Amino acid sequence: MSEFELNRRGLIGASVLGAAMVGLASCDNKGTLAPGVSKADFAGAIKAMRSVVGDEWVFGDPEAVMPWGKVYVPDPNGRHVPLGAVCPRTVEEVQEIVRIANKYKQPIWPISTGKNMGYGMAAPATPGQIVLDLKRMNRILEVDADLGTCLIEPGVTYQQLKDYLDDNNIPLWIDVPTVGPIASPVGNTLDRGVGYTPYGEHFTFQCGMEVVLPNAEILRTGMGSIEGSTAWQAFKWGYGPYVDGLFTQSNFGIVTKMGMWLMPRPPVYKPFMIRHDNMADVPKIIEAMRPLRVSSLVANCNLMMSASYQLAMFKRRNEIVPDGQPLDDASVKKAAKANGLGMWNTYFALYGTEQTVAAIEPIIRAQLTASGGEVLTAAEMGDNPWFHHHATLMEGGLNLDEIGLLRWRGAGGGLAWFAPVAAAKGAEAEGQTKLAREILDKHGFDYTAAYAIGWRDLHHIIALLYDKSDPEQEKKADACYQDLVTTFGKKGWASYRTGVNSMELVAQQYGQTNRDFNKLLKNAIDPNGVIAPGKSGIA
Amino acid sequence: MKVMISIAAGLGLASAAYAAQKLGEYQPERPPEVTYAKVCGYCHGKNVGPIILGRKLDTDMIKAVTRHGRNGMPAFRPTEVTNAELDALAVWISKSPARTEEHGK
Ligand SMILES: Cc1cc2nc3c(=O)[nH]c(=O)nc-3n(C[C@H](O)[C@H](O)[C@H](O)COP(=O)(O)OP(=O)(O)OC[C@H]3O[C@@H](n4cnc5c(N)ncnc54)[C@H](O)[C@@H]3O)c2cc1C
Repeated sequence: MSEFELNRRGLIGASVLGAAMVGLASCDNKGTLAPGVSKADFAGAIKAMRSVVGDEWVFGDPEAVMPWGKVYVPDPNGRHVPLGAVCPRTVEEVQEIVRIANKYKQPIWPISTGKNMGYGMAAPATPGQIVLDLKRMNRILEVDADLGTCLIEPGVTYQQLKDYLDDNNIPLWIDVPTVGPIASPVGNTLDRGVGYTPYGEHFTFQCGMEVVLPNAEILRTGMGSIEGSTAWQAFKWGYGPYVDGLFTQSNFGIVTKMGMWLMPRPPVYKPFMIRHDNMADVPKIIEAMRPLRVSSLVANCNLMMSASYQLAMFKRRNEIVPDGQPLDDASVKKAAKANGLGMWNTYFALYGTEQTVAAIEPIIRAQLTASGGEVLTAAEMGDNPWFHHHATLMEGGLNLDEIGLLRWRGAGGGLAWFAPVAAAKGAEAEGQTKLAREILDKHGFDYTAAYAIGWRDLHHIIALLYDKSDPEQEKKADACYQDLVTTFGKKGWASYRTGVNSMELVAQQYGQTNRDFNKLLKNAIDPNGVIAPGKSGIA
Repeated sequence: MKVMISIAAGLGLASAAYAAQKLGEYQPERPPEVTYAKVCGYCHGKNVGPIILGRKLDTDMIKAVTRHGRNGMPAFRPTEVTNAELDALAVWISKSPARTEEHGK
């Protein structure tokens, strides 16, 4: 019985050891070495790394490396398979590993918690790299309850940080991306990820870094370079050129400590959901939200969720339309309605005191009602699972509900985020939604998308969901992704961040001058090119 | 310790021998019920992953799936769930009774 049920869920197969073998085969580690690295170099690097972190924490054969190789993104040619993994515990070990990498010209791909799901997980952009897995460096070094700051190592998950604050009754919030429990503030911030409290633009709330440079020296940014300074986590800019941004979405160094600001828990937190009934309501919603966001009357990053994205979290596609049929608006609308959802569902919250929230709420209600939306709160939505999910996120709470997206289609397991930026204008969003739907339709995929409404920008978050157990569908998803990037690019819409499957492609869109400048920096900072070649298209 | 106590209470345990992480120290080894609550239990039994408690699942299978992921499930590396934690977790999952509050098709 249990075997049957597990199979039916499509998540665990009948024979799991068999399943693991299938995984092995699909991982397809052809053992491609990095350009210019010989077998002997690789072996030499692995041996030397073992002497630094111990045998137990170096992984050099294809089977042992598999846990670092599982990705959701399409990878029909097996380019994103790491060759090894090394897992240091201390910054001194990181320095030693960097020296070894330089000696053998062996590239290393740093990750913090390696849960870059839908962007390549822990896997590198190009073949032949050893993953530098910093998850074991997981100390919370400082929390200042008065300033609302902390200093942490890369392997600290959002869960660890939240537990620490809760255990010690420190009234500070964290701000999570949707997948908080297993991801990290450092990894997320370095990829310039987002969350949903007023501190949701993570890089904005980062303050001070410690970086192991490619020459193994240690750089502390901002006030961190001043002996005895107490302001490392309080003042972002330091003196002279501001360099922290150089270490985000890049390969110029390995971040071993990061400071960030934590929001004081507000006395009142009130989540809202605005329900709009038609796909065509996109521009109305954006136009209504923008002034609220620009003025900060609404202070958090809003999620404007399409019904199909919401349904994909907790339902399977064939519960909405039969397999093989397109996902039509009428079927989606029917399912959405049955679950208390509109075609667009926009979530935001008010944070403050009784008085401030009471003063702002009527202004917001008037504005959003005029846009044709229904303004809903916990009073109306009760324990609706979607409302509950977003209400949790907007107070920095933890869940993994959205992993449900990964089983939308067939056996699932396939996801690539396409996340083009636009200015927060209704016409821009209308154009993007139209174009995305055309391209996805053409390739036989669904428009499961959301807009993250930032201060003045939109991140259009499109989940390209496919069945990764079907090699044909994986190829199609790959082609569709390239089409999305390229066609959007022609209209001046490019990604805010991208997966290992498309870093080169997106880098091309940002133009030759930009590329040349990055290359100039790369050559100067990392002449042997050992840190994460291919990250953001910088080799 | 609030979190730990609520987990222990949820399981009807007299005590969970789990020291919370302290400032400046590495995360201590987590007992299986804590790993389950802080990692597995966000999906399994929450309508995202299949229910895995109360099914007497094979421990080798649990370990293999944890390390390699399966379909929509990500892989968990030994840096995230240590071998020692996983050994204990697999036995614990295999032996645990079903929980009425868990759901999943
Ligand atoms: C269903 C779902 C929902 C998601 N929702 C969100 C969301 O709301 N917001 C969001 O931002 N993301 C989201 N993601 C994407 C992703 O899972 C998160 O961004 C996650 O936080 C990234 O993984 P991580 O924190 O483990 O970072 P890592 O994987 O550790 O790091 C990400 C990248 O940063 C670089 N890097 C990491 N550490 C270092 C270092 N120490 N030094 C130098 N470079 C480094 C590397 O290039 C690495 O690949 C979602 C994914 C899924 C599947």
